[in-house]
Amino acid sequence: MQHLERLESAAEQISGFIYPNEIELHWGLLVVLYPYITGLVAGAFILASLEKVFKVKEVEPTYRLALLTALAFLLVAPLPLLAHLGHPERSFEIFLTPHFKSAMAMFGFVYAWYLMLVLLLEIWFEYRADLVKWGREAGPFKKLLYWLITLGSRDVSPEAVKFDDKAVHTITLIGIPSAFLLHGYVGFIFGSVKANPWWSSVLMPIVFLFSAIVSGISLVLLIYYVTTLVRRKQPDMTCLDKLASFLLYALIVDLSLEVLDFIHRLYESEESIGILSEMIVSKLYISLTIVQILIGTIGPLLILAFSRFSRLPTELKRVAYFIAALLVQVGIFSTRWNVVIGGQLFSKSLRGLTVYKLELGGIEGLFTSIGLLILPFVILYVLVKLLPPWEEDRPEASQGAAASGMTAD
Amino acid sequence: MRIWRIPDQVIRLAVVLVAAVVVLVVVRGRFVPPSFGETGHYRADAVEVATAQPLRYAGWQVCIDCHDHEGELKGRSFHRAVSCEVCHGPAAAHAEDFEAQTPLIPRQRGAQCPACHEYLSSRPTGFPQIIERLHNPLQPCIECHDPHDPTPPQVPESCAACHAQIARTKAVSHHVALECEICHDAPVEHREQPRSFLPKKPTQREFCGGCHAEDADSQAEIPRIDLAAHGERYLCWQCHYPHHPES
Repeated sequence: MQHLERLESAAEQISGFIYPNEIELHWGLLVVLYPYITGLVAGAFILASLEKVFKVKEVEPTYRLALLTALAFLLVAPLPLLAHLGHPERSFEIFLTPHFKSAMAMFGFVYAWYLMLVLLLEIWFEYRADLVKWGREAGPFKKLLYWLITLGSRDVSPEAVKFDDKAVHTITLIGIPSAFLLHGYVGFIFGSVKANPWWSSVLMPIVFLFSAIVSGISLVLLIYYVTTLVRRKQPDMTCLDKLASFLLYALIVDLSLEVLDFIHRLYESEESIGILSEMIVSKLYISLTIVQILIGTIGPLLILAFSRFSRLPTELKRVAYFIAALLVQVGIFSTRWNVVIGGQLFSKSLRGLTVYKLELGGIEGLFTSIGLLILPFVILYVLVKLLPPWEEDRPEASQGAAASGMTAD
Repeated sequence: MRIWRIPDQVIRLAVVLVAAVVVLVVVRGRFVPPSFGETGHYRADAVEVATAQPLRYAGWQVCIDCHDHEGELKGRSFHRAVSCEVCHGPAAAHAEDFEAQTPLIPRQRGAQCPACHEYLSSRPTGFPQIIERLHNPLQPCIECHDPHDPTPPQVPESCAACHAQIARTKAVSHHVALECEICHDAPVEHREQPRSFLPKKPTQREFCGGCHAEDADSQAEIPRIDLAAHGERYLCWQCHYPHHPES
C-alpha cells in the first residue's frame, strides 16, 4: 500500500510520456554512494602515489594518511551495493564460480585485486618495521595484535627495511594502474550501457577517473587539515599548498573533460539531445547547474586559484583551502548523483521525465546512506589509532631512516 | 648476504598467500556443485531436477481429443489462443484417467475471467475489459458469456460497449460532447472483427487545430494555440490525452 502511495505521488510529477516501468527509479541513493566512495579510494591512492613514485616530497606528511583513508573507504565501497542488492552472503559466490564475461562481476575481481594485492600489501610493507618497534614497547594486547598484523615478522635490519621500501615502491607502481582500473571500471559500467544516452559515452571512464582524483585529493586535504587541528599541531603549509595546487590542476582537467563531453554531445546532437536538454534545465537544474558546476567546480576553482597565487595570510589561506575542498566534495557527490539519478529520470521513449523520491528510512533511505558515509571515518579512526600515520609517532630509528631513505631513493 | 636470499617478510606473506589459496580450493571443492559449468555457467544437474518434476499440464491437443465440440467452438472464437488449462487448471491426471481427477470448472463470478478482463491501463485499447465491481455485480460471468465462444450475442451498438473505460473518462471531460467518430474513422467491420479492422487516429496536427487553432471557427471558450509554434513536431495526442484533455 505504501508502495502504491509512493508510486502515485511520483506519477503526479511525471511530465510528457513515460513507460510504466520507468516511473520509479531502481537505482537510488545507495548506487550514488558506490561511485562516490570508490572515487575517493582511487583518488586518495593516486595522491599517495605522488610521494612514492613521482617523488613529490611536499605531500609526504599525507602519504600514510592517504593510504589509510583509501583503505577505510575501500572497505565500505561494496557495502552500498550489497545493501542495495540484498543477500550479501551471496556476493562471495562470484569468487567461487567466477563469470569472467560479466561486467558487474568484474567489480568483485578488480576490488579484490586492489584491496588484497595493492592496498593491504602496500600498507603492510610500509608499516611493518614500525609495527615491530611499536610492538616491543606496547602492552600485551597491542603487542599480540601487532605480532599478528606483522605475521610474526621481527626483522628490522637495514636490509629488511630497505626491502620494504623497494616493495612499497613496486606496489605503488602496480597500484597506479590498478587505481585507474578500479574507478575507470566504475565509469565503464555506466559508459557501456548502450541503451542509455546519458551514460553511454567512451569518455565516461576518463571523466570518472579525473573526478576521482579531484575527490580523493580534496578528501585527504580535509582529513589532514582537521586531524592536525584536532591534534593541536600546526598544519604543514608547504604540504597544504602543494595539495591545493594538485587539487586545482586536477579540477581544471576534470572540468575540461566534462565540458568536452558536453560539447561532444551537443555537436553530435543525437535524437536524445532534446530530452536531455529538457532534463538539464528542469529536473537536474539545481543538482547539475547550481550544485555541481557553480558551487562544486567553478566556486572552488576560483577560491583555489585566488588563494594559492595571492599573498593571503596563512590562516586565511588554510581556511580557503578547507572551504574549497569541502565544496569539491559537494560537487563530486552531485556529479555522481547527476550520473546515476539523471540517467534514470528520462524515458527510453525520449519523450518524458520522471522524478526521484528520496526516502528517509529503510535500506535505500537517506539514513542508511548517512550511516554508510560515516562508517569509513569510524574505520579510519580505528586505523589511525592502530597505525598512527603521524611523523612524531614513528619510532626514532625509522624517522631517521625515513629521512635518509628519502634522499637515498 | 646472498643475493637470492628471500627476505623473511616475503616468506611469511607467501605462507599466508598459500594458506588463502588452499582455503579457496577447499571452499570451492566443498561449495561448488560438481556438475557446475558442464553445460554453461550453471549447475548442469539442475536441468535433470527440473525435468524430473511430474507433468501437471496435458496441453490443449490432448483435451480436444475427447472434448472436440468445445475445441472446435473455441478454435473459431476470440478465445482461440487461450489454452484449455488456463481456465480449467492443470489436467494431466484427468487426461490419464478421466475419473481420477475432475478439472476445475470456473462457474463462480470473479474466479478466472477478471485475471484477463479486469481493467488495467497497460492492456491494449479495445481488449474487452470490465471493472468487476461495476459490471453486472453478483452475476456469474457465464450467465451472459459463453467462455468457449465469447463473441457477444449482438453486435455492440455503441463504442462504449467495449471501450467503457474510455467512455467513462470522456464523460467527465470537456470533450464529452464529441462523438467517437469525429476523431476516429472506424470501419463498420470493426464492430464484428475489431482486430482485423482497426479504427484510425488523427495523423495531422491541423485536425485538432480545427477547433483549437488561433483562427479556428469554433466557440470562443475553447483553448487556442499557435499551431506553428506549439509542440514542435509532435502530434497533439502524443502529449495531450484527447479523452481527458484536462489531465
